[in-house]
Amino acid sequence: MAVRARTKSKTRRLAYLAAPYLVITAVLAAWEFAVRFNGIQPIFLPAPSSILKYLVVMILDGSLPYHLSITFLRIIAGFAVAGVTGIFVGVAMGMSRLAARLVDPWIAALYPLPKISLIPLLIIWLGTGETYKIVISAVTAFFPVAISTFSAIRQVDSGLIKAAKDLGAGVRQIQFKVVIPAALPGITSGLQLGMGVTIIMVVAAEMIGGSSDSGMGYLLIHAGQVMETEKVFAGLIALAIFGAVITGVQKRIDRLVAPWVEREH
Amino acid sequence: MDIVVENLVQVFGEAPREVLALDRVSHRFPSERFTCILGPSGCGKSTMAQIVGGIEPYTSGTVTVGSDGQPLGTHSVMVWQQLNLFPWRTVIDNVAFGLEIRGVAKPERNERARRLIASVGLRGFEQHRPPQLSGGMRQRVALARALIMERPVMLMDEPFAALDAQTKIVMQEELVRIYERSKRTILFVTHAIDEAILLGDEVVVMTARPGRIKEVIPIDLPRPRSQEMVNTPAFGRLYDRALHLIREEVLNAMKQQEAMVG
Ligand SMILES: Nc1ncnc2c1ncn2[C@@H]1O[C@H](COP(=O)(O)OP(=O)(O)OP(=O)(O)O)[C@@H](O)[C@H]1O
Ligand SMILES: [Mg+2]
Repeated sequence: MAVRARTKSKTRRLAYLAAPYLVITAVLAAWEFAVRFNGIQPIFLPAPSSILKYLVVMILDGSLPYHLSITFLRIIAGFAVAGVTGIFVGVAMGMSRLAARLVDPWIAALYPLPKISLIPLLIIWLGTGETYKIVISAVTAFFPVAISTFSAIRQVDSGLIKAAKDLGAGVRQIQFKVVIPAALPGITSGLQLGMGVTIIMVVAAEMIGGSSDSGMGYLLIHAGQVMETEKVFAGLIALAIFGAVITGVQKRIDRLVAPWVEREH
Repeated sequence: MDIVVENLVQVFGEAPREVLALDRVSHRFPSERFTCILGPSGCGKSTMAQIVGGIEPYTSGTVTVGSDGQPLGTHSVMVWQQLNLFPWRTVIDNVAFGLEIRGVAKPERNERARRLIASVGLRGFEQHRPPQLSGGMRQRVALARALIMERPVMLMDEPFAALDAQTKIVMQEELVRIYERSKRTILFVTHAIDEAILLGDEVVVMTARPGRIKEVIPIDLPRPRSQEMVNTPAFGRLYDRALHLIREEVLNAMKQQEAMVG
């Protein structure tokens, strides 16, 4: 009886593990079938097999690695600027009431503004070179990082601060040994949000008319203009995988930085 | 080290919504004695402990700990009801926190922390973090973190309230051992009558809000104390006395709450 129950649960588990892959395969097969035998124009929807072919070609001729690595460098640069300034401003606001009072009206006014609407202004000021792409992505990512850092610091359990004080800690020691470490999980989740919008803004900036001749945004918009739909799809797939890898790496870093936090994954 | 409280008044909030938490409380907590503060919920027990520990400012009155004129908190250390352990620090780094603050070199503070961790029965858990421990184990970490300060006064705010019955008994016996070995002045807040009698040299019974001292019950049970004393007639008499006082105050507190709602 027990043995049977176990084998049953084993096959179930296998089905559970395999289910998503089966669904993906089925969707891809249906897609391929629909394009090949129902006469859908590849310009609108290319078959998965030809997208894959393009993907391989673009990897082999070096264009995909080239554009992807350019975009990656821009993302890293924008993210680094946003991370450093955002954490700095957030910490300053969290630790000093005066700083919070000074900065708050600026954040209140600028945060709701869709940052993408700054693009014309930034192009006037900075041209369409690297600086512009880094600045637009950094400005966008700055806000979630600064705001998350600020609120993480504000929400530190006052009991921990009282306990540290009771054990003899001074103001500085409380800030560095209690407030900052207690706020770390909140800061890293702000960095995750920041990374998300950095990716969006770098790719968007690369797409804006003639502002670039490299990067994934350029590749996508260019392929789109000449109706190379396979290339568009290949670029999207590459970007999706790229985004997933970055998110994965970031989660792993989070676990290294704040190993005490209980997470769902 | 004596703790002397005179005409202590604590008011929270602003008029007209102010709360009188402590109303002219006066008491001398004798040096090297174990005093339990017993009272209904909301009567100001935590408030009193935090004032004595220099953690909360107070409205009026005088509070002195020792006679050297040092600010409150210098000679005491608190064991918190919510423990307030640092979840990002390992057990050993939690326990050594006070020494780290004081600037004690790492090898020495780790050595001392390790000894204390062993003495509260947590050997082998030095590198764990609080979220990985059970409630009773965390309680021991909190105790060790306070003990390492070697301050003459220990303030304990319902430290065992969240523990299950068995763990609580073990922890009480451990605290009795620690106290009987290293005579400190202990101010122990609790709402458990049997705990107050088992641990204390005297039990200060407080009234419902506003907190005043209703009665001080001297506990003349011999030391060393042990859990078995709970069954002696002497213990029973003390228990009945305290229960009678507390029942009156809990009823008062309930009436107050009804009046506030109605
Ligand atoms: N920071 C505060 N601000 C306003 N009111 C407070 C504050 N701290 C305590 N009080 C009030 O003072 C009264 C006494 O609180 P205290 O926490 O000292 O009670 P307690 O005896 O420790 O209760 P319990 O047994 O439930 O822990 C309560 O009515 C509480 O609402
Ligand atoms: Mg309390």
